[in-house]
Amino acid sequence: MLSRTAENLYWTARYIERADSIARLLEVAYRIHLIPNTTEGYQNEWESILAAAGIKHNYLNTYSEITKNKIEYYLLFDPNNNSSVKACIENARNNLKMVRTAVTLEVWNAVNTWYHELSNFDKGKYDSKNLPQILDWIKRQVNLIKGTINNTQLLNDGFDFIYLGIFYERADFTARIIDVKYYILLPSSSYVGTQVDNFQWSIMLRSVSAYRGFKWAYGNSQIDYKKIIDFLILSNMCPRSIFYAVDKIQYHLGRLTQFYKSDNAANRNVKIIHKGFVNSNAEQIIDFGLHEFLTKFIDDMSTTYSDLEEVYFLGTDR
Amino acid sequence: MFNEVFNKNKPRVAYKDIVPWANSLPYHTLIKKKNEAENLFKKIGITFSVYNNFDSAERLIPFDMFPRVITKLEWMTIQEGVIQRSLAINAFLRDIYNKCEIIKAKKIPAKLVYANPAYEIKMVGLKVPHNIYSPIIGTDIIRTDSRSFRVLEDNCRTPSGVSYMIENREIMMRMFPELFEKINIEPVENYSSYLLDILKSLAPRKCEGDPKIVILTPGPLNSAYYEHSYLADTMGVELVQGSDLIVEDNITFMRTTQGKQKVDIIYRRIDDDFIDPLSFNETSVIGVPGLFHSYKSGHVNICSAPGSGIADDKAIYTYMPDIIRFYLGEEPKLPSIKTWRCSKAADRKYVLANLENLVVKEVHGSGGYGMLIGNSATKAKINSFKSKIKNNPDNYIAQPILSLSSVPIFKKDTLTPRHVDLRPFTLLGHRKRRLVPGGLTRVALKEGSLVVNSSQGGGVKDTWVLKN
Repeated sequence: MLSRTAENLYWTARYIERADSIARLLEVAYRIHLIPNTTEGYQNEWESILAAAGIKHNYLNTYSEITKNKIEYYLLFDPNNNSSVKACIENARNNLKMVRTAVTLEVWNAVNTWYHELSNFDKGKYDSKNLPQILDWIKRQVNLIKGTINNTQLLNDGFDFIYLGIFYERADFTARIIDVKYYILLPSSSYVGTQVDNFQWSIMLRSVSAYRGFKWAYGNSQIDYKKIIDFLILSNMCPRSIFYAVDKIQYHLGRLTQFYKSDNAANRNVKIIHKGFVNSNAEQIIDFGLHEFLTKFIDDMSTTYSDLEEVYFLGTDR
Repeated sequence: MFNEVFNKNKPRVAYKDIVPWANSLPYHTLIKKKNEAENLFKKIGITFSVYNNFDSAERLIPFDMFPRVITKLEWMTIQEGVIQRSLAINAFLRDIYNKCEIIKAKKIPAKLVYANPAYEIKMVGLKVPHNIYSPIIGTDIIRTDSRSFRVLEDNCRTPSGVSYMIENREIMMRMFPELFEKINIEPVENYSSYLLDILKSLAPRKCEGDPKIVILTPGPLNSAYYEHSYLADTMGVELVQGSDLIVEDNITFMRTTQGKQKVDIIYRRIDDDFIDPLSFNETSVIGVPGLFHSYKSGHVNICSAPGSGIADDKAIYTYMPDIIRFYLGEEPKLPSIKTWRCSKAADRKYVLANLENLVVKEVHGSGGYGMLIGNSATKAKINSFKSKIKNNPDNYIAQPILSLSSVPIFKKDTLTPRHVDLRPFTLLGHRKRRLVPGGLTRVALKEGSLVVNSSQGGGVKDTWVLKN
């Protein structure tokens, strides 16, 4: 496979996943907006959504105030935001267009339709009322695209590069969202066991679409921060957990080394990271420092990405 | 004007099933089908972009659902004619880059070849694999009466449009299966496997084993990008851009996830000038440095060969009947169009006196740009061409204004005639020739217009060659 093809597939998938993550994040925002909330936590919530999406700084360069309508527009369509959902869809499609022949016609159709339908939602002035519809549409299309990939793509190296893109993005996104809100996971005597806690924690779970999953996984037992850390970071059941993403990355890198009959640093280092997760528990992470743990994880993953890039995307001899 | 479909308001035999079908379609069905077709084109991504267009938006090429039909007998004439021409073109290219016998025999002026900007001096004396310079040739054919097809233009560099030929058919089959059950139509879907077969036969000298073939595209912004990716996909070969290829020790490689991989045959869809910044245009960023040396040393084949473009030059076109006679010893099976060369004093005099009744074309122009259609041009435009011709006579040829044949399009709920041409695609390999029965029918959508180019608002039709 051409190096450029591998790279374009990887980025197509990352952008698709990113659009999905932003939509899920906005869904939480919409929910908070519907819940009567008079505490100052309200304003914080919007800020942390911007921070989780990694665009708070850019947003504040464009707009002086943080308002619901502006944030929604900014995250969805704003041309000033180069990681809006719109930009993600366009980037996904442009990357895929360069390597059209590496995916099935059905996968291309799904992505291309997504791109063309976007204009239906981006006409005229943005109206907050349409948000649920827009979010539904984004998530539905992402599910359709991923389903089409699973249903029709040949399970060759290209398939692995697509999935590496999806899970590198997911690992990164979940890690960042936990990091933005890590303070609510820290035990604080004044909050423990209060309504505020429960509310904050549920938002946390919802923002990565893991709320229902959490309930199922832990039944009716009391929510506490250790369980949440366990579920979002270490669980192999929660499809949004960091470990789940690392596990998939390890799997697909392993497949590639078998496929190409040649090992590489990316594969070896991801194995080490994976092993670290298997041998960890929530308490150790808390002792180490949640923020420190996440920062180190994000750094380590970006090093493995550089290895991946060098071995597969540059196309020179090694 | 020759109407291909109707003879004094009665449908001709070839259209006996189609005209009643077209007339029976209710207006709302027509609208529905038209939208359906457009959505299909859009979904598949069959779009093109216009050069010199400031917004890079993708456009759909207008598709008309009324098919264009060619009878078996007509097709046989066309087939023989275009194969003959393609063979002559390749013989001509081999000759002018080697022994130049046609020039020594004074059948064609030396100046026309050697001073031609499309003549590539670097190709002189080079041995091209199996002497095939231009394996893929699109011939533009027009019809002016019931008997004859004439060649308007040869395209032997990188002719495009073949993906429309195939996709138009796919869409028609999807929308109107009932027609295909009733009428026996030659399929066109084999084109890609024919092309692969032809290219495979053109391995370079230093190729061992099964040749590795790639298509070289300028990238997704090119107007024919869809076609490049379509062909790569259906042939099962890689679609590469210049940056995907590297040349080391005269061997061409592509960058892959497993390191460098040797490439043997490049079906290039970029212009000569941009192939290799070291040998040609040094500002090219879409080419591959060193590629031409790799080609010269016999490690890789470039199809079509650099310098092939001289054969579809409009000044050479006027000599095509002589070229066919010279190399093949045969009379041309498809006549050319009467052409005046402004380089000749007598011709020039005639052209200048009769501009109102002529089409004037730039010798090296293409895509319908830079031409004059005398009977519909303003006085000012005619005068400007007059001075252009006087200043640079070698740069112009003139032809009579031919009334191209017509086939109707659906216009609202009625059928109205529009002018059409036809581009079949001939494939020549090593001891092999292939031609899919069909071609691209381009149609001028404006009433009375003779310009069918998609860059000038032309559309396309599905083209049916009948089996019997």
